[in-house]
Amino acid sequence: MRGELSRRRFLAGAGAVGAAGLLPGCSGDERGSEILQVWGGVPAASGPGKVVEAFQRKFPQYKVNYTRFVNDPRGNLKLDTALQGGLDIDVYFTYTSASLALRAGSGMAADLTDRVKADLELALFLDAEQPRAFVEDGRVKALATAREPYFVLVNETLRRQAGVELPRRWTIDEFRATARSLTTDRTVGAYTVPDLARISLGPDYWYGEDGKSNFDDPVFEQTLATGRAMIDEGSTFRWSEVLARHLNTYQQNSFLKAEFNLWPTAPFNLRYLYDGKLYPHDFKVGFVPPPTVPGGGDWNGGSYNNFVMMNPKSAKTEAAWQFIKFWLTEGSAPMLAGGKIPTLGNVTDDQLVTGLLGKEPDKYFDLDSFRRVVLQAEPKLATDTKLAGFPEITLAYNQQRDLCWLGEKAPGPAIREVYRLANAAIARNEGSA
Amino acid sequence: MTVATPPAPVRTAVERRPAEGPGRGIKPSGWTGLAFIAPNLLGVVAFTLIPLISVILLAFTDWNLVSGLGGIDFNGLDNFVAIARDPGFWNAVGLTLLYVGVSVPLTVVLGLALGIALNRPLPGRAVLRAAFFLPYIVNTVAIGMTWLMLMNPRSGLVNQTLDIFGISPGWFASSHWALPALIVMAVWGGVGYCSLIYLSALQDAPSQLYEAADIDGAGVWAKFRCITWPSLLPTTIFLAVTLTIGASQGFGLIALITSGGPGDSTTTISYYMYQTGFQFYRFGYASAIGLVTFAGVLVLTLLTWRAQRGRALND
Repeated sequence: MRGELSRRRFLAGAGAVGAAGLLPGCSGDERGSEILQVWGGVPAASGPGKVVEAFQRKFPQYKVNYTRFVNDPRGNLKLDTALQGGLDIDVYFTYTSASLALRAGSGMAADLTDRVKADLELALFLDAEQPRAFVEDGRVKALATAREPYFVLVNETLRRQAGVELPRRWTIDEFRATARSLTTDRTVGAYTVPDLARISLGPDYWYGEDGKSNFDDPVFEQTLATGRAMIDEGSTFRWSEVLARHLNTYQQNSFLKAEFNLWPTAPFNLRYLYDGKLYPHDFKVGFVPPPTVPGGGDWNGGSYNNFVMMNPKSAKTEAAWQFIKFWLTEGSAPMLAGGKIPTLGNVTDDQLVTGLLGKEPDKYFDLDSFRRVVLQAEPKLATDTKLAGFPEITLAYNQQRDLCWLGEKAPGPAIREVYRLANAAIARNEGSA
Repeated sequence: MTVATPPAPVRTAVERRPAEGPGRGIKPSGWTGLAFIAPNLLGVVAFTLIPLISVILLAFTDWNLVSGLGGIDFNGLDNFVAIARDPGFWNAVGLTLLYVGVSVPLTVVLGLALGIALNRPLPGRAVLRAAFFLPYIVNTVAIGMTWLMLMNPRSGLVNQTLDIFGISPGWFASSHWALPALIVMAVWGGVGYCSLIYLSALQDAPSQLYEAADIDGAGVWAKFRCITWPSLLPTTIFLAVTLTIGASQGFGLIALITSGGPGDSTTTISYYMYQTGFQFYRFGYASAIGLVTFAGVLVLTLLTWRAQRGRALND
C-alpha cells in the first residue's frame, strides 16, 4: 500500500542506509591496503611531498599517501585516536617527548631493533653515547630523522650599529652583557635567556638518579634568576609583553621587525628568514653558538628529534621500512627546506646551505658564521629517554617560570614548587606504570 | 433499584479509523513516528547518550587513550579519592566559583538594567537592541583576539584610558588580573543576551497592575519592587541557572587567551579537566572530574531553583 510504512520497510530502509555507509568504507579499506599511509606534522610543501615523490620514483611498486596533522595537542590527539581506532596508518612521526613515551609504551610503535642492527647504514642509531633513537627496554621503537642544534641568531645591521663584535663563543654572562649592549630605546637586546639547565646537564636533565626530579640542581634556579635579571634590566622582553602578545608562538615576526636582536633558536626558524617576499626584511642574520654555563657541561641544548615510527598493526611492514630507510638516508635532502637537518648527515655542505638558507643565502645570511656554527661545529645533542610525567612537568615548569618572570614570584620558591610538582608527577606516573 | 445506563460513546475524530479520516492510507503505526525522529534520535544516541555512558564508565578506570580499549583497567573509586586530595582540582573549583559567582550576578543585573532601559521609547531603539545583542553571536575567537589587543598592558586601549587615572592592570599578563579580565569579557558577552530575554519578559508584565499602582500613587522604586521584580523572577531564575551552567563550563576564551595561566590563575574546572584529559591523557581521571563537576552544578541548580519557589508574581 502506497504511503504505508511497515516495520519491514523501516528495517529495509535502515539496512539500505547502513549498507550505503558501509560500502564506501569497504572500498576505502581496499584502496588503503595498496597505498602506504604516512602521517607527519610537516606540511607536504615543506619537504615531505618531494621525499614521497622521490620514493615513488625509486620504488614504483609502492604508492604513498602523506597526511599532515598539526603538531599541537589537538593534532596529536587526532593521530592517537586514529592509531587506536585502527585507521590505516603505516608510518607516522612523533615530535614531542610526551607523545613519544606514550606511544612507545602503549604498543603503538613497532620494534625496529633487528632491522636497524641488520643495516650498516643505520649503525649510528645504535650509538649509546649520543642516542639518535628512542629505546625502550632495550628495543628500538623510534628513529630521529632530524638533528636540531641550537644557535643564537643575530641581526647584523643592529649589531654593527651598536659596534658589537660577533662573538665566536661566549659564556652566559657574556651573552647577557652583549644583550645589554644591543638594547636601545627601540630594540630589546635578546628575546629571552637560553635554557641553561639543558646546556649544563644534557639529556634527561629533569630527572635525578634517585628516581626523583632534578629541579633541586642549582642551575635551574640560575636559569630563572638570569631570565628575571635580564627582564628587570630591560635586555630581554618583558614577560608580560611575551604573554600578552603570545610572542612565544610568533617570535619570528618580532625578529623580522627588528624588535629584538639576539634570538636563541633552532634551524626550523630559518625558513622565515630566507624568503624576502613572504617575510620582508632588509638585514643579514649572523650565527653564534649557544652560551656556555661556567662549571656546567658542554651540551648544545638542541636534540635529535622528529622521530619516525612504524605502526605495529601495519600490513605493509616491508614497504613501510623501505620508506623509513629512504627518508633517513638518500631521501632526506628535501626536508632541509623546513629546517630539518638529516640525522645521519648524509647531505653535502652545499645542499645544507641552499636547503637551509634558500636560493640567495648571501643576501640574507652571514655565511662565514653559518659555516662556523652549523657546518663545522660538532655540537653535543641530547635525546631524552626518561619521560615519566613529562607533560605534567612541562606545564608545572612553564607556569612557575611565567610567575617568576612576571615578577610575581622569586626564582627560589618558583623552582622549589616545580621540584615538588615534578616529584608528584613522577611518583604518580611511575606508580601507574 | 434503578441502574443508570451510560450514554452510548460518541466516536470522536481522533478515534475514527484512519481510512475514514483525512490521513487515509497511513496506519497509526509507531514505525512512522520512529522514522521521522530517527535522524535526531541517532544523533542523540551517538553524540550524547554513548559519550555520557562512556564518561560514567571511564570515571572508574585509569584509561589513558593510547593504551586502547585493552588498556582499560577498572580502579574502583581511586579517581574520586585522588580528586578529594588533589590541590589542583580544589584550586580550579575555587576559581570556577569565583568566576561564576562574580560574572553571573553582574551579567544578570546589567542585563536587567539594560532590558529596562531598552523597553522605554528611545530613538533608534531597534538598532540599540541589535547592537547590544551582537557580542552574543560574534565568534569566540574574534572576541578573544579583540579583547587581547584592547587589554594589552602597554599598548591596549583599555590601559591607555586607565593610565589617565593612574591605573595600569596587567590583565592577561598578571595572575591577579587575568581572571577579572575574563569576567569582564564574559559579562560583556552575556549582557546583551540577558537584556533581550528580560525585554520579552517585561513586555509580558501585567499592565493593569502598573495602572493600579499609578492610581495608588506608587513611585518608580515601589513599582519595580512590587510588580516588575516579582514578574521577572522566573526569567531571572532561568537566566541565573543557564548562565551558571554555561559559566561553569567556560572553556573557549580560556583556551584561546590564557591557557589557564599565568601560573594556574585561570585554570577553571573545565580547563583543568581538558588539561588532565587532553594534555596528560589521563582520561579516566578527567572523566571522574567531569562527573564530580556535573554533580556540583546539579546541586547549585537545584538550590537556585528551590530558592525561587513561591516568590514569583504568578505563584
